[in-house]
Amino acid sequence: MRVKKECVAMLLAGGQGTRLGVLTQKVAKPAVPFGGKYRIIDFTLSNTINSGIDTIGILTQYQPFDLNQYIGNGQPWDLDRLEGGAFVLPPYQKAKSGEWYKGTANAIYQNIDFVDRYDADYVLILSGDHIYKMDYSDMLAHHIEKGADCTIAVLNVPIEEASRFGIMNAKEDGEIYEFEEKPKHPKSTKASMGIYIFTWAKLKAYLIADEADKSSHNDFGKNIIPNMLKAGEKMYTYDFKGYWKDVGTISSLWEANMDVLDPNSGINLEDPDWKIYARNMAEPPHYVGEHALIKNSVITEGCEVDGEIVNSIIFRGAHVERGTVIHDSIVMPDSVIKAGAVVEHAIIGWEAVVSEGAKVGKKQSAAEGGEWKIAVVAPESVIRAGSVVAAGEMTGEEGK
Amino acid sequence: MNAKMVGILFASANETKLNELTLHRTTASLPFAGRYRLIDFALSCLVNSGVTRIGIIARNNYSSLMDHIRMGRDWDLNRKNGGISVFPPFVLNTSREVYKGKIEALYTVLDYLKRAPEDYVCMANCNVAANIKLDDVLDEHIARDADVTILCHKASVNSSKRVIIEKDASDKITDLSALEIPTDRERLVSLNIYIAKKDYLISKVEQSYARGYVDFEKDILFKDVEGGKLYARELDGYAAIIDDVKTYYNESMKVLDTAVREELFGSMSKIYTKVKDSVPTMYRSGAKVSNSLIADGCTINGTVENSILFRNVRIEEGAEVKNCIIMENGIVMRGGKIRYTITDKQVVIGAGRQISGSETYPIVIVKNKIV
Repeated sequence: MRVKKECVAMLLAGGQGTRLGVLTQKVAKPAVPFGGKYRIIDFTLSNTINSGIDTIGILTQYQPFDLNQYIGNGQPWDLDRLEGGAFVLPPYQKAKSGEWYKGTANAIYQNIDFVDRYDADYVLILSGDHIYKMDYSDMLAHHIEKGADCTIAVLNVPIEEASRFGIMNAKEDGEIYEFEEKPKHPKSTKASMGIYIFTWAKLKAYLIADEADKSSHNDFGKNIIPNMLKAGEKMYTYDFKGYWKDVGTISSLWEANMDVLDPNSGINLEDPDWKIYARNMAEPPHYVGEHALIKNSVITEGCEVDGEIVNSIIFRGAHVERGTVIHDSIVMPDSVIKAGAVVEHAIIGWEAVVSEGAKVGKKQSAAEGGEWKIAVVAPESVIRAGSVVAAGEMTGEEGK
Repeated sequence: MNAKMVGILFASANETKLNELTLHRTTASLPFAGRYRLIDFALSCLVNSGVTRIGIIARNNYSSLMDHIRMGRDWDLNRKNGGISVFPPFVLNTSREVYKGKIEALYTVLDYLKRAPEDYVCMANCNVAANIKLDDVLDEHIARDADVTILCHKASVNSSKRVIIEKDASDKITDLSALEIPTDRERLVSLNIYIAKKDYLISKVEQSYARGYVDFEKDILFKDVEGGKLYARELDGYAAIIDDVKTYYNESMKVLDTAVREELFGSMSKIYTKVKDSVPTMYRSGAKVSNSLIADGCTINGTVENSILFRNVRIEEGAEVKNCIIMENGIVMRGGKIRYTITDKQVVIGAGRQISGSETYPIVIVKNKIV
C-alpha cells in the first residue's frame, strides 16, 4: 500500500511548440532555456514543490530525451522523494493496445492508474510552457472550500487581448456558466491559464466517457471542460494576480526574458521564500574581461565575457569575445559570439557560433502589431564570418 | 567494484597562519575562487579519478564543513558502497585528548582503512587548489611498485614548513627536508598529497603510533627515504598551496588569469561544489566591471576591478571595489570604496566608507562585521 497523496500534479509536457521554430526542433518546449540558468519547466516544477505538492507526473511525448535527462530523478527540485516525487510518463504499450497521447485529456486518461496509485482526492493539471510563480496550495484550498468539481485559474487580461484566450464567463462568486475559446466578442476578461484542479473521481468519470466518444478531440479545453459545464458540474474560477506569461512564440519568449531584466516586471526570481530551482551544471563563476562593458544585463556561471553587453541575457557557459556588441538579445548556453560580431534583438540558440564580424538582427524601438522582429540563430549552428541574419529571420539548422 | 584507491582528507591542517579566515571554519571549508570551498578541489580530483570512498578527518570548527558536505551528493558521493564518511574529533581513550598529528589521526581511522576493499590510499591536506588527474598518478605508482608517491611542484618557497624534495632521474626520492626559512629559489615542493600502498601505510602508522610518534612527514616519510620506495610526481599544471593570508590572496588573484582558469576549470574533469540555487548575476546601469570573477546571485551597480565576488554579493551605486575578494552575501553600500581587502561572509561596508589594504598586506574583515 502506497502513502496516500491528497493532490497529485500532472504536467503536460508533450507539446512540440511549433511556433518556437528551430528552438524546439530537437527539444520539447518545456526544455527550452530561460532567464540565464533555467529551463521553462523549472517554473512549474518549482511552483509544485514550493506549494507542498511532492508527487508529479510529467507527460512527455515530443523529443523527450533532453527533457528526461534534465528532470532525471527530480533531485534539483527536491522531488526525489521516498514516496512520490517526479515521474516522467511517456506513452506506453498496454496489454491490448498502445498509442500516442492523442490529446491533453487522453494523456491523463492513459495515466489513470498512476493517479489511482496515490489514492489522490484531487489532481492538478499543469502545462510546462508558462513563466509564472503561483501557490497551488492556495488554489487547492479554494477548490475545497467551494466544494468544486473543477477549478480553473484565470488571469484578468486587457479586453482587447481577450479574444486570444479561452475566456471564462462566471457569476460574481466565481461559478463558471460559460466557456468561450478565443471569442470574437469577449464578455469577460478572465482568461484561462491552463491550470486546472479537478476532484479526481469526477474527472476520472469524464475521462472515461470522453475516451468512449470517438468524435472527441480528447482535449481539456475542447471537450472535458465544455462537457462538465453542460452537465452542470460545479466549476469555479480562481483569480490569479501576478506575473504570468505564455512563452509560446519567439516574440513572447524574448519579451519574458527581457522581463527578467526589469526590476518592476514582477517576475522577481530572487524571492528566498519562492526559489526557482534548476539543474546545476557545475560551472565556475563567470569572468569579465578588461574590455567588457555590461549594463542592465544578466550573466550566468561559466561565461567568459569581454564585449559590450546591454539589455541582454547571457546564459550559462556562453563566451562573448572582445569587440562584440550584444544589445537586447538572448545568448543561450554554451554559444560563442566571436570578435566583431553584432547581435541586436536576437535569440542565439544553445551551442551556436556567431563568427567574426557577423551581424544578427536589427535594433528596434517598438513591437509592430504586438510582435517583435527577433532574429533567431538555430541551436548548434554556425553563422559564418561576415554574414548577415536579418531582423525576424530564423536560420536553419545548418546555418547560413 | 573496481575502485583501486580510497581517499583520506585532512580537513584541518595549517590553519594557524590563516588567522581570521579560519576563525570559524576549517581550512577545508575556506571559500575560494568565487563559489568553491578548498575541499571541493580535493574531492573533485578524487571523484574524477574514480575514487568513490572518501574519509574526511575533521579536527575543529567543522560545522561549516559538515554543512557543506552533507551526504556528498554534490560530488556524486552519495553511494551505497563507500561514499563520504566524516570522522569528527575522537578522543583516544589512552591519551584522553584529541589527536595531535597525522599519525594519531590516521590511527583513529585504521579500521576504516582496513575494511575498505581498495589497495591504495590517496591522502591529502585540503589546502591545495588544483585539478589533478590522480588516476594517472596511481597508474604510475602501481607501475613503479612504489610505497609512497608524493605529488609536488616547482615553486619558490615563500612560506616555511613546506617539505622540500630531492629526487634522482628516475623520480626516486633521495632526500626530504622541512625548510624553516623562506627562500626565493625555486625548489621541488611537496603538495602534501600522497598516494600510498594501503598495507604500507597501515603498518607504518601502527608501528609509529606504538612508539608515540605524531608527525607523518618527519616520523614516517623522512625516515623511510633510505629503506622505502618513495617516489616524487612533479605536476606542471597550476597548483595553489594556501597556508597563510598572503598566499590565499595571491593565489585567488591568479584565478583572474585566463590560462590558470583554463587549467582549473577548462578540462572535462569538473570541479563540483554544493549547489545553492542562486539566481544569475544582475548588472544594473551603474555597473563598470573589468578583469573580475563573479559568481551567481550578485547585483552590481558600481565599479568592480581585478576582484573576486562570491555568491549573492551586492555592489551598490557609486561603490568601488578594486583588487578585493568579497565573500558570500557581502554588501558594499552606496559610495563605499575598498581596495586590497578580503571581506569574509556577510560583511557590510557602509555607505561612503573607505578601506584600503596593500598588495603585500591585504586587510581581512571578519565574518558578519558591519563597517
